[in-house]
Amino acid sequence: MSRRRLAIPAAAAALALALAGCSSGGSGGGSDDPNAEVEFWSFTGINQKDSVDKYLKGNPDAKVKLTEVGSTTETATALTAALAGGKVPDLVMIQNDDLPKFVENAANFVDLRTLGGDDIGDKYLDWAVDAATSKDGAIIGIPTDVGGLGFSYRADLFEAAGLPTDPAEVSKMWSSWDDFIAMGKKYTAATGKPFVDNVETSIFFSTVNQVTEKYYSPDGELVYDTNPQVKDAFEVAVETYEAGISAGIAAWSSGWDPGKANGSFAVTIAPSWLLAGIKNAAPDTSGKWRYASIPGVGGNWGGSVIAIPARAKNPKAAWQYISTMLSPEGQTTHFTDTGTFPAAKSALESSEVRSYTDPFYGDSKIGEVVSDSVLKFKAFYNGPDTSAIGSALLNTLVDMEVGNVKPADAWQKALDNAKAAIGG
Amino acid sequence: MSATIATATTADIHNGPAPQKKRGRPPRDGRRPIRQHWGERIAPYAYVAPFFVIFIVFGLFPLLFTFYVALFDWNPIGEQTFVGLANFERLFQDDRFWNALVNTFGIFLISTVPQLLLALGLAHLLNHAALKMANFFRMALLIPYITSVAATAIVFAQIFDKNFGLINWVLGALGLPAVNFLASQVGSWIVISSMVMWRWFGYNTLLYLAGLQALPREMYEAASVDGASGWQQFIHLTIPSLRPIIIFTVIMSTIGGLQIFTEPLLVSPESGLTCGGGRQCQTLALFLYEQGFGQFKFGYGSAIGVALFVIVVVVAALNFFLSTRTRKAR
Repeated sequence: MSRRRLAIPAAAAALALALAGCSSGGSGGGSDDPNAEVEFWSFTGINQKDSVDKYLKGNPDAKVKLTEVGSTTETATALTAALAGGKVPDLVMIQNDDLPKFVENAANFVDLRTLGGDDIGDKYLDWAVDAATSKDGAIIGIPTDVGGLGFSYRADLFEAAGLPTDPAEVSKMWSSWDDFIAMGKKYTAATGKPFVDNVETSIFFSTVNQVTEKYYSPDGELVYDTNPQVKDAFEVAVETYEAGISAGIAAWSSGWDPGKANGSFAVTIAPSWLLAGIKNAAPDTSGKWRYASIPGVGGNWGGSVIAIPARAKNPKAAWQYISTMLSPEGQTTHFTDTGTFPAAKSALESSEVRSYTDPFYGDSKIGEVVSDSVLKFKAFYNGPDTSAIGSALLNTLVDMEVGNVKPADAWQKALDNAKAAIGG
Repeated sequence: MSATIATATTADIHNGPAPQKKRGRPPRDGRRPIRQHWGERIAPYAYVAPFFVIFIVFGLFPLLFTFYVALFDWNPIGEQTFVGLANFERLFQDDRFWNALVNTFGIFLISTVPQLLLALGLAHLLNHAALKMANFFRMALLIPYITSVAATAIVFAQIFDKNFGLINWVLGALGLPAVNFLASQVGSWIVISSMVMWRWFGYNTLLYLAGLQALPREMYEAASVDGASGWQQFIHLTIPSLRPIIIFTVIMSTIGGLQIFTEPLLVSPESGLTCGGGRQCQTLALFLYEQGFGQFKFGYGSAIGVALFVIVVVVAALNFFLSTRTRKAR
């Protein structure tokens, strides 16, 4: 589920489609038959076929045509092209990072309250539903999964540095970000090696999402430059860098996977969907990893929703899929089969999810950490430029880590970059 | 242009040398079979039509439409507001645009100039009569060209990696400090340029080689008999005879080099669309993509596309002008 990988042919095709197909007549001719064929666009690498097969088994008359479009970004790009004037699917999966752009233009989607009633959002995490809710209250997507946060860390390296190894003790020891930095200093002093992989994803992505208000005020005003919570979140990352405990290995850079395997760093952020990635990157370290909650009050990175485009041919059939497979029971089953963490509250509280462990992570209580993380997570308002501002701040930290920006200038530089990004 | 030429040629073949052709008017003697004549006239256009139809649909229309979109604040799935030239005003004040422009030209120069010189020298060597297994070497040159860019990017990113890369391993073995190539502007240009060179220099070598093979070998033999050294032959025979091909490769490399996109996109997957936290290797094409598809600012993205188009046309025209002028000067 790498978010940033893009395929050029797909992009070029999407561009051609988006530019050439601007005459979007309403296709109309929708069918009310709940068993009409549903065209479903999903991402690669999340094994969506599993759920579809399960659905077809329970509903032998239903028909689903699943297309794995590509990465999360590719799927969003293809959807954009389709909405701008191509053939739209009946069901489409949208990753949370791409969601604000679509929520801003909610008229492109079916308001799912019209199909499932006003209370359809109640079963799911409030913030996950809020993320898919437009200004006038339309719910355009039902959350399928979330990206609850925890730190993955190497127990063997912690032990060698004289730090506790048990997840409960570790998360107690780093209950605040200051404690985390202090622990890192201890580790680096003892081993001479960096503690954490980088500060932009492992620290900033966590801290900036532990706020009550982010880049926008609740009524949609831009406050990223004046909101002290954002600055504090940013400064924690800068302090971590200044403490000399970061390896400066950016997520998805060429040194990231080797670094997990050979101990270039001992701690990395692991949203629940990344747990499998660490296993693939460093199979020889099985049993040496542990999983513990992050400092502060929970967090989330990623997760997705499923939506129905307004021009879908068979919205009724699409809704039947959503209501069957995304029900709390459906999500619990999907979790048991694939390890995808559910977004329905009762599913997150179910014993199946909470008792989840993995021998690769030394049987750490992954289920508890992840579900607590997303249950504690609080919603904040995301506007159209949330992702542009986020990238600008993140990139400034990346630039600081490679030595191009002085830590003391980083915040000012980040604000300048964010300002340029939103064209202000 | 090519349509007109095709018409004339076909007509000549069928009618023989018929000097009194007047388009659009029936001939005075009136003895011509009209029906066949009509078919003959239309056929050449029909033959070239597929290219032009496809060009108009996928080439010309998107091009013109881009000019149109550039005048709007254009959200592909939302509102579209006419803003006149505001996108261009903003573009010229945008540091990110000038940064991308500098990067584009930096990467273009570092990758193209050494590449073409190298290709020229190599073609000269491969054309040498004494070379054994010439076909093997000629075929081998094409391998980088047929390798996928994505695979090349992954391998080069590994070679230049800060922590585990081959180059830094060698530097370390020599007792030198490690270099984080992708962190600096020039360093990242070098990484990307080396990928571009790796991919294209074999292709250009083969173009030059094809040109050289068309030359009579006696010319070189005569030069050898007259006592010209290999270097003198290269300067006074090879380069002047290849002039048209050199002009062609320079113009093609310019067009390709100024639109470079895939390599900077793939070389630093961690910061994707900006090619580094400080946009140190973001090219114009990548900046366009970031604005258009990363941020859904199609209007602004189109304005970047228009600027890029103008730049490519100006540079290509300049190339052409310079190369034809030097030819006249001789």
